[in-house]
Parts: sequence; structure tokens; C-alpha cells
Amino acid sequence: MKAGAEIMVRVATATIAIGAAGLFIGSFSARATRRLPADRPAREAPVVRLDRDSQPPIDGEARVFAAVVPVPGEAARRRSAHPRTLATFRALRPYPGAPPRIPHGLTADEFRNTRCRTCHERGGYSLRFEAYAPVTPHPELTDCLQCHVADDAVVGVSFPGDHPDALCGQCHASPRGVKLTLPRSDWRGAAWPEPGAARMPGAPPAIPHDLELRGNCVACHAGPGAVAEIRTTHAQWSSCLQCHVTVASAGSFSRTRGTP
Amino acid sequence: MSQLDRRMFLKVLAATGATPALLAAQDSSGGGRTDAVVWKRTPCRLCDVGCGMLVGIQDGRAVAIKGDVDAPANRGLACVKGYYAVQALYGSDRIRYAMIRRNGTLVRVPLAEAYDVIAARLRATVRQHGRDSVALYGSGQWSLTDAYVAGKLWKGALGSNHIDTSTRLYSASARAGASGSVGVDGPLGSFADIEHADVVVLWNHNIAETDPVLFSRMLERRRTNRLRVIELAARTTRTSYGIDRSIRYAPHAELAVIHAICHEIVARRQVNREFIERHVAFRKGSTAVGYGLEGEPITPDVPAVASWKEYVNFLGAYAARKSEPITGIAPEDITWLASLYADPARKVLSVWGSALNQHARGTWVNNGLHNIHLLVGKIAAPGNGVLPLNGQPGGAAAVHDAGSEPGSLPRGDVRNAADRELAARIWGIDARRINARPGRSALAIFRGLERSDVRFLWVHGTNPMVSLPNLARYRRAAAGDSCFVVVSDAYPTATTDIADVVLPAAWWLEREAVYGDAGRRLQHSAQMIQPPGDAASDAVHMIEIARRLGFARLFPWTAATHVEQSWNEYRRFHAHPATRLPSLAALRGGRGMLWPAGSSETAWRCNTAHDPAADKRRGQFDFYGHAEHRAWIWLRPYQPPAETTDARYPFWLASGTVLEHAGTGSLTRRIPTLHRAVPGAYVELNARDAEELGIGNGTRVRLISRRGSIELPARVNVRSQPARGQVFVPSFDEHVLVNMLTLDACCPLSGQPDYQKCAVRVERVT
Repeated sequence: MKAGAEIMVRVATATIAIGAAGLFIGSFSARATRRLPADRPAREAPVVRLDRDSQPPIDGEARVFAAVVPVPGEAARRRSAHPRTLATFRALRPYPGAPPRIPHGLTADEFRNTRCRTCHERGGYSLRFEAYAPVTPHPELTDCLQCHVADDAVVGVSFPGDHPDALCGQCHASPRGVKLTLPRSDWRGAAWPEPGAARMPGAPPAIPHDLELRGNCVACHAGPGAVAEIRTTHAQWSSCLQCHVTVASAGSFSRTRGTP
Repeated sequence: MSQLDRRMFLKVLAATGATPALLAAQDSSGGGRTDAVVWKRTPCRLCDVGCGMLVGIQDGRAVAIKGDVDAPANRGLACVKGYYAVQALYGSDRIRYAMIRRNGTLVRVPLAEAYDVIAARLRATVRQHGRDSVALYGSGQWSLTDAYVAGKLWKGALGSNHIDTSTRLYSASARAGASGSVGVDGPLGSFADIEHADVVVLWNHNIAETDPVLFSRMLERRRTNRLRVIELAARTTRTSYGIDRSIRYAPHAELAVIHAICHEIVARRQVNREFIERHVAFRKGSTAVGYGLEGEPITPDVPAVASWKEYVNFLGAYAARKSEPITGIAPEDITWLASLYADPARKVLSVWGSALNQHARGTWVNNGLHNIHLLVGKIAAPGNGVLPLNGQPGGAAAVHDAGSEPGSLPRGDVRNAADRELAARIWGIDARRINARPGRSALAIFRGLERSDVRFLWVHGTNPMVSLPNLARYRRAAAGDSCFVVVSDAYPTATTDIADVVLPAAWWLEREAVYGDAGRRLQHSAQMIQPPGDAASDAVHMIEIARRLGFARLFPWTAATHVEQSWNEYRRFHAHPATRLPSLAALRGGRGMLWPAGSSETAWRCNTAHDPAADKRRGQFDFYGHAEHRAWIWLRPYQPPAETTDARYPFWLASGTVLEHAGTGSLTRRIPTLHRAVPGAYVELNARDAEELGIGNGTRVRLISRRGSIELPARVNVRSQPARGQVFVPSFDEHVLVNMLTLDACCPLSGQPDYQKCAVRVERVT
């Protein structure tokens, strides 16, 4: 317990509060190349994809947020040991739209007291996990464990104070050495939408999910905690829905009544 | 059979497919996919809240799920069970085909063969041993459709009243208590009271894990300073950390706590005299009632008229200081609680669940909680009232038992000739066929196996070989071969292990049905996907058996239309506004209705401004369930539990639920994420007790009660923390059976067992 409390202090000091969306001043060097996929049937609308490979990795918050307070000597360490990618994003969810599982250890205190928001309300770099904490899109909901599941194997695991690498075991093997046989399942989730797809060349891509509980785009699409492939190229614009339209509830228009 | 189902399914799809508003086409240019995910509305089936969900269906399979933003219960949010519920349909070990035990092994047979065997055995048993030798044990998972068909088959066709459901184990005391206090057995308010209340008092109810969606509704109100949440609890839980104040009390002390609060209200002259004079009467009942340890646990109460004066004298024994040795609550906290309840400027809602109902005096405790609210006139009005949450999604826990309880008919009681005649008229049978004596309640059914009084038992969608208290006793009783056991379920369980015949059950999206929930909301759920293999709903299985027994005339329904036909028949029992049932069309169209409901729903029962059955001439309230139109304050004394701790067994054991699992885990343990989250049972100890015993987190310990022992890992200060001298074990794990320890003491008025109190010893396994 004592060790856990110490770590909380360390995380709190190392976690740099990031500003609200309105503070965004930087811009990613967006060098999106455009290409039309050859294998698409000719009659469908052309699709534009952003080539993410050509973007430089984001190695810190300084280029995104104005209110970054540098921690002396920490800059070199602030490379994420666990970068968020679409692959890691999807691995935590059985189907698109599912609340993600909790992929990291929780001290008993964090688990019991639901202390998730210490890191996930505003994001920032966590020394403990050597990673940027993803920001919750719904900080107003405080009973996090109602929807987000933590593996038993990593709950109540105490963390060594000064050597975060020792935490690897949380994800890569069970720290309690328990071999768990998972129930066999024939489950197949819905297919994941392709990111960055637009109807016309140059058009802003549509939003392939609904916005319930995910109305704060910044949470997943901006900042160093964002998922790499779907990170916005223009975080300075904070009114996302001005250009991006959600397709999740769109049917097609048809006239049902004649001209009056 | 399966051919028929498929055709029926296509018809249902055609009928329900006409909901273009729910159609959510994927962006066809996005993933190169042209097939649409179609979102369909259904209530979740994993607890009693009945959250409205939207399930994504594609290629005949459920592929995604999300909360329905417009659903009244959850408003778009779900919980871990809801968000993974669709995966419970696809466990690899689903029971897909009927099985019959041959030479000790269950072997696959055609469904029709299984039906023939069941019908022949049922007929022969009734012929040889009489109608009292056959019993049916249904489920809190049941839809009202299943419950109605079961009640009609057993009571109307076979003439046996030996039918009960697993709701007996979760919520029977809440129903019995409400009937005694306010004359109606469902809640008077609904979940909407949460948004009207100024104070919520949780009574030993870990709502963060049992009804998390409702907890989030409370937290939302609390976040904006519109609600205070207080709990009285036996242990510190996730709930305790999220609320304003948590007060510990001693196990089993609820009645003393309640009477101490009432004593304080009376002593401080904070009683709502006008309400009492107009709407309340006083009753006392039998007090030498025992603990229901043998035979039929339910014994009828003998109510006698009491007076205000008698009540005040009765409360005298429970003054806060006098009752402190029992309650463990400081007198100033009793005063504070009394002031919260009595403050005329505050609306107060009391909330509890099965942890409170599982009490050897559960009905009395429920009466007592009503007493507090009646004393201050805070009941049956927006934000003022009691809200028992039953833990289970269906059957008697949800609004109505539809005739599936040992003493009930679709309307009324088997002991009442007029009720029998009404049932006989609607069913088209001779009224003499209906047995006038209530049948066996849950534990009595299984006790009937001990002396071979019950020789045919059909279990539907529940797992008594894990969930019954004092389990070794009932496993021994079931091990004999004098009783033929049929089990219908979706997955293999400890109960299918003892079955002679197993029927494959369709679950949730795989069948059409009408459901209820703890908030009185009736909801319709359409069939959306095909059940696996030969699986069919419990109702369809029972209709097939009824036909084979020669009762085709009573069940002239097809697999495709039986839900609507049985619902229409059931509605004929409930033409009166006090219990009226809406049409299936009305339920299909929207997001359910608060029962009783005709063209409109009833938001607060017995409140003359809201309930069409209440007589406005009686003032603001009319407790019409009692002949004198008054609610009853009961003089129910505190009595000790059936078993207490001593030097050999110094710890109190409580058992219960964790957020991640429902019931005995037969559904939720098939969900990989939830299984990983809580893969097995454990015992939670108080940190100081653990230290004294040399037990740390993960230490293997042995728990020993007077009935048995189990070994399991310890958890200290992880999820919840029992008070000193108490331990807690979750009850979902069929491999670590806490019920080998528990005692089968029951509330003698409701027959509900007490899973919350028995004495155990804790030993380190060396």
C-alpha cells in the first residue's frame, strides 16, 4: 500500500496537465499524400486516404500543447514505450464502439477508489507506464469500472517505485503466475471501419462511429495520447464537426411527399 | 422443428425489418463493405435494471452492442455486462441439441425424441404418484411469456401448484414485504425517483456492482449537487467510495436499526400525523415463526390489528442508546438518519436489493423500511419512496409472476375460489382442476427430493446445484435416482450434470418475448437471430410437451405466434386499472411502458394524481391493495439470526454478487473479458483480521462452517473490505462453492433463504 501511494505522487508530479482543446496552438506537419486505390470498383465514390507513414512520430507534448511545463531531465525519457496504434486500440475492444478493457495494472487503491481520472481526465505523460495516458472523452462519468474491465491478474499488483520496466510483466505474463484458460468463444465482432476514408478527393473524412460517449474528438484524435493512425493533422481547429460528418446514423434521403 | 423456426424467423425479420430509422448503413466507401449493420432495440437480460440496448446485427449474427440513448433506464450508458452481453450468445460450448442420459452419459438425440421421453415420464409420474409428485423450477431469467406458459401448464393443465422460480432466492421478501405494507407487490415508484430525490439511502446494497447504471444516475445527480447518497452497509465496497457517507452496522441488525430510526422520529415529534391519520393502520403478526429449516419454509402470517399507542410502546425498546449493542450504530448517527428521513424539505428514497432481502426476517425488514417512509408520509410520490432492486431480470422479480409462483394464479391466489374460477374461465377448464393449496416453494421442491416426494423436476435456465444454500444437502438429495430431472439451459452447468434429459434453450435475441424489470417497465424484445442448433425458448419447449400430454386445446399457439397469443390471453386476467397490461403492439412500438399501463403508464402507484386505480376522494393517496384502503405499519420485532458466531466459528460469512458476473456465471463466464476480470471466487477479509491470521493477498485459506469447507485465495483491501469479524465470498463460481458453507435458513413469510449470515472459521492452508 505504501509503495502504491508513493507512486501516485510520482505520477502526479510527472503527469503534465494538458490544456483544453481551446489551447491548441501547434499543428502537425501534415504531409498527406493522396492516392486512389486501384482495387476499388469504378462506380463507387473515389476514396482518399491519408498516408500516415510519412508523418513523423510525436515524441512529446511540446509541439501540441502550449501549457507544457518541461520537467528537467525528463525530456529524453518521454518517448512512449507503449504507443497507441489502431492495432492496440482494436485489441482492447471486442467490437467497434465497445468500451476498452484496462490494459495496465491498477494498485488496489486505484481499483477500489476508481482513481482513473487522475491520469485519464486530462492525459499527459506517465513515468510509471512510460506512456502518454489517453484522455477519456467522458470525464463526467466517474464510475469508470462500471464499463471498463480490468483483468484480475493485474488488480492489486504493487509497483516497484523506481523501475517502471518491471511493469512489463503486467501485460506480457500474469504477475501472479496464474495460467488462465479463457472460455472458448465463437464470437465475431463487427468489422472495423477503415480510417481516413473520404467520399471525394480533398473532402474531410466522415466519422465512422456514433458520438454517444465519444463526443469529445480530442480524446482519441489529438495529442500524444491519440491513436497514431487517426491522429488529426490539424489540431488547431477545434470544431471538428464543422467539417466531419458522422455516418453512423445516416440513411439515404428519399422524397416521400411531392411538392405542395 | 428447426425448419419451422427458420421460416418463422424470416417472417419475424420481415415484420420487424420495417424500421428504417434504426438502419445504420456503414459508409460503403469506407471499408469496401456493402452489407449493413442493422441496429435493433432490446432490453439487456443480465440484471434487473432492464437497460435499453441497441444490438448490431449483421449476416444473422450479433456483432456489436451499444446503449440506447433514448432508453429511460440507462440513457445510452450500459455496464460491463451489457457491453459484453452479446458475447454470451457465442460461447463454444452452447447446448445446441437435446441430450438424454444413457449409461451415465448425456448423448445427443433428436429434439422430438427428447420431447417424447419427457412427456411419457411426466404422464407416468402423475399417473403413478399423483400430481403432487411433479415440480417445475423456473428462472429469474424467464420472460413473462415463459412464466405465463409455465403457470398455465403446471396449474391449469397438470393441476400441480409445485412451481417456483429462482426469484425466490433473490427477491421474495421484497414482494412479501410490499404486499404486507402497501397491499401491492411491485414498487410504487420507479427508477425516475432517483432524479426527484434529494437523499438516497442505500440499505446494504452495493449498487456500484449490482445496479451500476442506476448508480451512475445517482452519481450524475450528486455531481451537480442535487442529491446526497448515504449508505448503511455491512462492508466497505466500491459504492462506499463514491458516495457522501457510509455507516457500518452489525450483521442482521436491520430491524433494530429501522426501529431505532422510527423511535427517534416519534420521540422528536417529526411524524407526519396527517398522513398517518388518513392513510395508515397498524398491524402485528405471528412472532414464533422459526427459520424455515425443514419442509415448506413458508408459513402463513396471522395479522392482528394494532394501534398507534401499541406501536409507540413497541418502539420504546429500540431507543438508539438501547439498541446500540445490537446495531453497532452510534446514537448520534441514528439521530442524523432520522432527521434526514423526517426533514419535510427533503425527498428521500430508500434503495435495497437481494443482500437485504436474503435475511431470515427479510419480509419483516421490508415491512420496517416501509414503516419509516409511512411514518413521515414519504412514499408513492416523486422522489419519495422505496425502491427494492431485485437482482434478476425476469419472472417474479420483474413486475409480475404471471402465475409461476406456488400460491399464485395469473391473477390472484390459488386459495381464493373467485381467482380459481376466473383462471378456469379464461383457460377453458373445470375450476376443480386447479389445486386450492399452494405448492412447494423453491427450497421445499428440493427438500421434496430428499424423501422422494418429488419424482419429476423440470429446471429452466437456472443453476440450483450451485445457487441453493446448504448445497451439500440438496446435492445429496438430487444424487438419488428416484427423481427424473429435466434441465433446459443455454450452457452446461452443475445442474445439467444431474439431468436425465437436457433441452437446448434459446436465449435473449434468439427468441421473442415480453420482459419486465425492477422499475416496473414492461419491454418487448423481438427475435433477431437464429438460436443455435435445435435450441428453442422455454415457452416453446413447454408448449410442445403440453401437446404431447394431450393439452393441445389449452395451447392452441404456434411457435411463431405464441408470444402475442399468450400475452393477449394473459391480458384478459388484468382488465382492472390496478394491474392492467398494455397491448403487445403498444410495447413493440416504443421503449416499453411502466406497468400498470393501458393507453398510458402509471408513474406512481397508489398516488391519486398518477394512478387511475386510486380513488381521488381518499386524498393524495389510496392504498387500495388493502380492503381498508390504508397502508400498514407493522410491529415486527428484532429477532436473532438462525446461526451466530462463536469461539469455533468466529467469522460472519456473507455471499453475493460481483459486477462482472450474473447469477452462477453460466452466461458471463463464457465472456472472455469478464472471465479474465474475475476468473474465480475468493474470500475478502478485513485487513486487521487478515494480519492477525497471517493471511496476505493471495494466501490460500480454508473456510469452514458447520456444514462444509472450501479452499480459495484471500483478497485483502482489493475490491471491498468487510468489517472486522466478517468475510465475503462471491457466489458465481461453480468450482468454489460458497454454498457448501451457507445455511438454508429462510424468512418464514417469503421462503427466501438467508445467504448473508452464517458462522465460519478461517484457516490458512499450509
